[in-house]
Amino acid sequence: MISQSAPSIGRMWSWKITASSIVILLFVALLAISFGPVEIGFPKILRTLLGLPGAATGQERTLLLDLRLPRVLLAALVGAALATSGAVYQTVFRNPLADPYLLGTAAGAGLGATLAFTVVAGDVYALLPIFSFVGGILAVLTSFFISGRFQAEPNTLLLSGIAVGSFATAIQTYLQQRNSNALRPVYSWILGELTAASWQVVGWSSFYIVFSLAVLIFISKKLDGLMLSDEESFSLGINPQQLRIIAVAAATLATATAVSASGLIGFVGIVVPHLVRGLTHRVTNRSLTAIAFAGASFLVLADLGARTLLSPAELPIGVITAFVGAPFFLFVLRAKRLAN
Amino acid sequence: MISIEDLTVRFDGQDILTDINLTIETGKWTCLVGPNGAGKTTLLKTLLGVYQYSGSIKDKGFEVYQNQERNVAFVPQHPHIPTGMTVMEYVMLGRAKKDGWGRETRVGRDFVAQVLTQTQLFGMQHRFVAQLSGGEMQRALIARALAQEPNLILLDEPTSALDLHHQISVLNNIEILKEHGVTILSTMHDITLAAMYAENIVVMLDGRVTLAGSASNVIHSPELRKAFDDRINVYTLDGGRPVIMANKDYLSERERPQTEV
Repeated sequence: MISQSAPSIGRMWSWKITASSIVILLFVALLAISFGPVEIGFPKILRTLLGLPGAATGQERTLLLDLRLPRVLLAALVGAALATSGAVYQTVFRNPLADPYLLGTAAGAGLGATLAFTVVAGDVYALLPIFSFVGGILAVLTSFFISGRFQAEPNTLLLSGIAVGSFATAIQTYLQQRNSNALRPVYSWILGELTAASWQVVGWSSFYIVFSLAVLIFISKKLDGLMLSDEESFSLGINPQQLRIIAVAAATLATATAVSASGLIGFVGIVVPHLVRGLTHRVTNRSLTAIAFAGASFLVLADLGARTLLSPAELPIGVITAFVGAPFFLFVLRAKRLAN
Repeated sequence: MISIEDLTVRFDGQDILTDINLTIETGKWTCLVGPNGAGKTTLLKTLLGVYQYSGSIKDKGFEVYQNQERNVAFVPQHPHIPTGMTVMEYVMLGRAKKDGWGRETRVGRDFVAQVLTQTQLFGMQHRFVAQLSGGEMQRALIARALAQEPNLILLDEPTSALDLHHQISVLNNIEILKEHGVTILSTMHDITLAAMYAENIVVMLDGRVTLAGSASNVIHSPELRKAFDDRINVYTLDGGRPVIMANKDYLSERERPQTEV
């Protein structure tokens, strides 16, 4: 008789993966705050953050608290948003290579940013996040509307997202042709940048990102049901259409916020979910929290690279993520076990 | 008991199911047969509660549309096979309604272990569902349905695309459910197999029910032949078991070669 005791099956949920991803993020964040043109030791950072005696003072304190800390926090927020949204999109669209920018978020936000650079007369950088945020959300709503209100089959939604994206990109290109002076700032925004990080940006973006990630993590266990056909998930007690809308809405809000705070940073949404899935051998949804923390660590590290590799010059962070992401993407395509 | 009265289902202004009146007995296996496009799958999904309809379908006195109070297992003909999910995780999804999403109870895990053994999947639980063969995947689907401990199980062509050996193994697995008082409703292309396992057979044609009754009555009725355009013959084996085979020589009006005068 084969032993049928329950423990032999193995637990599917584990807090260990989430706990280790938090530890990694804390370490990486400390590393990123420490490194730069002026290096600050770990003990001093900790003493400053915790308000203990022996804290950094003067210029060092400003550097630490007003420049590096908000920048690391923003990188972590954006990384978490993009990685989690990517994982959720991959589940909802049942496509392992789905990207958080897929439904037109990126193109819509790009068009919004271009409009800001070409139309706004005053302080462009103050209005840039609003323009790109509205552009991204409008593009996704249009995709939903075209694909048949909110009842759409995932594939129809995907295709209309691509169509809306191409349309927005076409307008964006036209505007750029007409206003060549906007080319350079738009281009640098498209490559992604965290240089504008300030406590104010961290403040408003954390509000939307934390909210949408909380929603996604709250529904993450049910997301497994969306990997089945709609009839199957209904029989398991889910309303698939409703759940899909909540998931896409939250993921889009997180993505649009990330884009308006930092421009278009590519590949995070694909690389991180696959990496975590490959390392933990788990369904993506099971490790959504771990994916959020891993995404945060990934982008904090990428930003550290962007700041220090060509110091004092700064590389666009999108170049770093693409440099790591593109070969990885090909690796995923080749390694069928991961992509399957 | 499920009682269907004056059921009509309409997509884009077109009737897919028309005026169906039918009673499905509790704890029995009822099989829907009929040619492709007769509306068998639509009837199955309507009974699941995902399609809007006019008329009424009452399961224990309650309308079925969007009714999540019921515990109905659905085994589709073409399942979406989730990537990166193991057999264990897949079968555990069946516990969602009883134990809650993402919650693992001791009872649930023991039950799943038992179901895996019953469907000969024990030992494969750590493999990815995407890597299973056709027969194994079908057994995994049945296992998930069993894990659900349903009152009603709906199966859409559970044996198509399986070899004979696996067909019998899957059908035997389904039959076990009857011992637990579960109502079974399936569609099946193979009428011989339907007659072998189901107590009741419902013949469908063009979105209507043309005949319903006990398997032996339906098999020998001329209505069954009519539904298949007179293209089938019913033979009886020595043991009294019916065998239904396609009539090779029959050609319909359309297929007959046109001879020039």
